[in-house]
Amino acid sequence: MMRDIFVMSLDAMRSYKVRTFLTLIGVIIGVGSVIMVTTAGNSVGSFVQAQWNVFNPTGMVIGAGTGGATPQLSIRSVVFTTNDVDKIQALPNIKTVAPIGIVPLKKVLLRNGFLKWDSRPGDTMYASTPALLEILNAELETGTMFEEGKNEIIISKSFSEVFGKDKPLKVGDTIYIQRIDAKTLESKIVGILKESKTNYLVGSIATPAIICPTKPYYSTYFGSNVGTIFKRVTAYSVLLAEATDINHVQAVQDEVQNYLNNGSSDAGQYKNKNTDFIVITQQYIVNRIDQVMSVIRTYITAIALISLIIGGIGIANIMFATVTERTREIGTMMAIGAKRRDILQLFLYQSTIIGLLGGVIGIITGIIGSAFVVNLLSQNIQNLGGALSQAGGIGLSYSMEWFIIAAVVGIIIGITAGVLPARKAAKMDPVVALRYE
Amino acid sequence: MEYTTSTEAALMSEYVIEINSLTKIYTSGKNEFKALNNVTLHIRKGDFVAIMGPSGSGKSTLMNIIGCLDRPSTGRIMLESDDISTLSDNELAEIRGKKVGFIFQKFNLVPTMNALKNVALPLVFLGGSRGEREKRGYELLEKVGLTNWATHRPSELSGGQQQRVAIARALCNNPSIILADEPTGNLDTKTGEQIMELLVALNKEGKTILLVTHAIALKRFANRVINMLDGEVTEET
Repeated sequence: MMRDIFVMSLDAMRSYKVRTFLTLIGVIIGVGSVIMVTTAGNSVGSFVQAQWNVFNPTGMVIGAGTGGATPQLSIRSVVFTTNDVDKIQALPNIKTVAPIGIVPLKKVLLRNGFLKWDSRPGDTMYASTPALLEILNAELETGTMFEEGKNEIIISKSFSEVFGKDKPLKVGDTIYIQRIDAKTLESKIVGILKESKTNYLVGSIATPAIICPTKPYYSTYFGSNVGTIFKRVTAYSVLLAEATDINHVQAVQDEVQNYLNNGSSDAGQYKNKNTDFIVITQQYIVNRIDQVMSVIRTYITAIALISLIIGGIGIANIMFATVTERTREIGTMMAIGAKRRDILQLFLYQSTIIGLLGGVIGIITGIIGSAFVVNLLSQNIQNLGGALSQAGGIGLSYSMEWFIIAAVVGIIIGITAGVLPARKAAKMDPVVALRYE
Repeated sequence: MEYTTSTEAALMSEYVIEINSLTKIYTSGKNEFKALNNVTLHIRKGDFVAIMGPSGSGKSTLMNIIGCLDRPSTGRIMLESDDISTLSDNELAEIRGKKVGFIFQKFNLVPTMNALKNVALPLVFLGGSRGEREKRGYELLEKVGLTNWATHRPSELSGGQQQRVAIARALCNNPSIILADEPTGNLDTKTGEQIMELLVALNKEGKTILLVTHAIALKRFANRVINMLDGEVTEET
């Protein structure tokens, strides 16, 4: 008998095609938009994560600045001495430490025949050690590493085309680097980095155009108490460090902080009193991005859920209208032997079918719509140009749990929205219902 | 069957409906309205009873109570030895399905179902299988002469045809009584006559029929005429 009443519900829905269709659309849009929004959020999230993951997961940035919930690194404060680099390198669980000394450039020159020079404005140049490449996850495409003390540099792939795509710089070429203090250094290119995804680290630190050895390019000095002798040592603004493995990142972070703050470090002396030492880990960056993404995702998902609820209200609305319209029919059915339960089922089936069907079609719509939306986002990112566009498009990343949530919520809303109208129908007094005009 | 005294057995089988001192009071706010006032009425198996009276006389209320759609305020009503005065909604629904066939002025067919499905609808609520329903449906459509219209929806049928489908539906569960509430009210005279003839034919087959109407012309089809006024009954002789 339940099956027969189910068939009756289907028949009724078939008779009210337009009405059923419009109600369905409400649910489809609700379920579909939840899936679309969550998929888009998920896809963008994965994309952004992937952007940051190019930086070593065990890596961290050590600097001075303002701490707190959102640490701000101040790369202008030069505080870390060579002595500090060695001490931090000696801490347990540290794999490598690379200092970063920023060399401000005026321009870059290329000899182009007798007394003829090509000149380009300066680019970012970091003085560091070979360990830097390891921490940045950067690899040489051609050439070798520079040697400390020699006029040798490594350049990025994009910088190799600074004098024109037709005249790419090659390993073995010599360029002239003019520092901001007007001192010009003849430099031999010994290596070119592989083109990589954008290596954003933190703040304004990124993979530089030129990497050079400290000597002879970088010359910021401080006094340092090395042992009992006071001598002049090179000082840097930022250090990059790498833990031995992912499980020791936190320990290393604590140890570095401890070393810097316990009074024995040079940096402790030179640091501005108003600033703190900051150790920013890859994990921290990823977590921050996650937090931001999840706020955005929650917000838009909430909006999508509202549309799902509106779909449910649509069902309730149309079911109430249908029940009222079919009042006399309900009375007739009661007169010929229908029990209240039968009437309840008759209408509950209808809203359940709408909920189910809307859920299923909504999922399909969501899948197709997601592909479309993510593709659109991906194109927009390409059109934006800049760093993100080099990383390729946004991959489609469905979040399965939201498929289930959207479908289940859709169906539950469908059923609950049908309960009140169905109860209204089932509770009718047959005498009154039969008299209804 | 068990042995009973002859008079008791005769009485039990004789009356399809036994109504004793039935009163129905409607209250709205502080106002009380006596729709039925101490009605006593016995209807035998095979009777064709016309219940006549102006609107507001209580004939619809009486019919609703006999048809198990409503309960009396006081008094007792027996339908084929079942006391239906105090049954629950579900029990009443079951008795309606099994023992009462309704014919309405406005036919009250389900517009989304074809004639066949409408006729067999009462069987759905009694749990009849699809095969049973089709068999019974065709049987009854043949009886009312609408076999060729089985797959047509009510909107495709004339008024007379719709009422014949409704009569077929009323017969579906082989009820003890048929309650016809102004069955010709929405039909022209000629079609009305045909419907009445169909009811008379059913009565001749042994069906007990209660006809509720205020059309005096229909009186002649009945073998008993009961007049109602202000909730009280008087029988014409």
